[in-house]
Amino acid sequence: MTQPLIRVEKVNKTFGAHHVLRDVSTHFNAGEVTVILGSSGSGKSTLLRMLNRLETHDSGVILLNNQEVGDDPSSLSALRRDVGMVFQQFNLFPHLTVLENVTLAPRRVHGTARTQADAKAMELLKRVGMEAHAHKHPFALSGGQQQRVAIARALAMEPKVMLFDEPTSALDPEMVKEVLDVMKQLARSGMTMVIVTHEMGFAREVSDRVLFLHQGEIVQDRPPAEFFEQQDNPRIRAFLGQVAH
Amino acid sequence: MNFSLPSWPANWSRQARSSATMAVAGSVLVLILWLMAIPLSWAPEPIGPSASDFAEGTRVTVELTLVAGIAGVLIGFMAAMGKLSKVAALRWLASTYIWVMRGTPLLVQVLFVYFALPSLVPSLQLSDFASACVALALNVGAYNAEAIRSGLLAVHKGQMEAAKSLGLSNWHTFIDVTFPQAMKVALPSLVNNIVSLLKDSSLAYTIGVVELTNVGNRVQAATFQPMPTLITTAVIYLVLTTVMTQISDAVERRYDVEGRQP
Repeated sequence: MTQPLIRVEKVNKTFGAHHVLRDVSTHFNAGEVTVILGSSGSGKSTLLRMLNRLETHDSGVILLNNQEVGDDPSSLSALRRDVGMVFQQFNLFPHLTVLENVTLAPRRVHGTARTQADAKAMELLKRVGMEAHAHKHPFALSGGQQQRVAIARALAMEPKVMLFDEPTSALDPEMVKEVLDVMKQLARSGMTMVIVTHEMGFAREVSDRVLFLHQGEIVQDRPPAEFFEQQDNPRIRAFLGQVAH
Repeated sequence: MNFSLPSWPANWSRQARSSATMAVAGSVLVLILWLMAIPLSWAPEPIGPSASDFAEGTRVTVELTLVAGIAGVLIGFMAAMGKLSKVAALRWLASTYIWVMRGTPLLVQVLFVYFALPSLVPSLQLSDFASACVALALNVGAYNAEAIRSGLLAVHKGQMEAAKSLGLSNWHTFIDVTFPQAMKVALPSLVNNIVSLLKDSSLAYTIGVVELTNVGNRVQAATFQPMPTLITTAVIYLVLTTVMTQISDAVERRYDVEGRQP
């Protein structure tokens, strides 16, 4: 539980004149579920996207397994194989079936044979309750179903850590639960997870740790019980009051 | 106009029906090119006696279209990549090419390649057929470039991010994710361009290529019967474009995974 899988040291990022992240330092341990909270524009998505280099950082160091996250192509693709990502807008490949979505990366990156990749994919789809839809195209699925497929797709690469960028924000309310249930099950299986979300109930129940970002700085880093029950910071109390939980 | 020629069995999948249509339309095209002289020879004067000339002219027209069309798609693809390149010089090159080819008449381009190019570069003394192919390919390539570029731009940024986050290389991101989605968007415009190309190939007539329009005009001039000869010429073009759109509609339907087309 204590070995840091990802280390973030004094990371800065600006978009033009806007200073998105200021000297952010933190770490993410293997097996730990971390939830990142903060109001919109606080830099939480940017921080998450830096962990697999979808966003570059201007200064500071990010280490994954003691490997520096940077632009070197071979270490970058190795990094991305170890880091799975789930997006707010699902980003399934619309021209491929559910099964092809899940098998594409293992087949292309690891050169896994089709039959083997298919078998593995069906196992993962079963895990997220989508095995009956394996031969459909994404357009035929609901948002919640698409997001569950997206989780299976990321898991197919057997990542060491899973990043979730507001995975339920684009979903109709009745579909949020099915996605959160899959994420809970994943958390219980011991997966290292970093989650940007506005689902406070989920954060409280599942996370080991809550990070609160405000204007590009980590304002608080606490266990969820303490964060939610004994909140002494007035700004965070106001934030928690606004997002009804 | 869309003749949904044969109604395939309802229990066939969309892909199977599209493939069947492509196969049938493709075979029809080959049969037309191969055997069209026979029915034409039954026609009365002045068509019947010139049936084999019409058939030969049609074959040349289709050859021009196929050669220039395939080259034009490749050129269009390269120009589209150039225009979206990070290298400023490539962007400039692609933009200039598109600007010139779209901004000047095709007729001038055909004449330029045949008459002016050899005086600039003596080794580029091409035959009339080759000159026409070069001019037509360069011309349609410029229009294809815009179609393919808009297809590439239509692919959502999240698609590339998802592919990268899965560890796919730039090559696989392009070939497996970006390109198929871009081509689906570009396809209707590309088809439009190729149908135009088939008709524009008649400009090869001006440098002496004996294609369909040239044949029609020669027969007309020899027999002083413009009506039947030009109608025959037009009908042959119409048959060719109809078969072509049958094939391209089937291609579009094949990739219409969302079932948006009836």
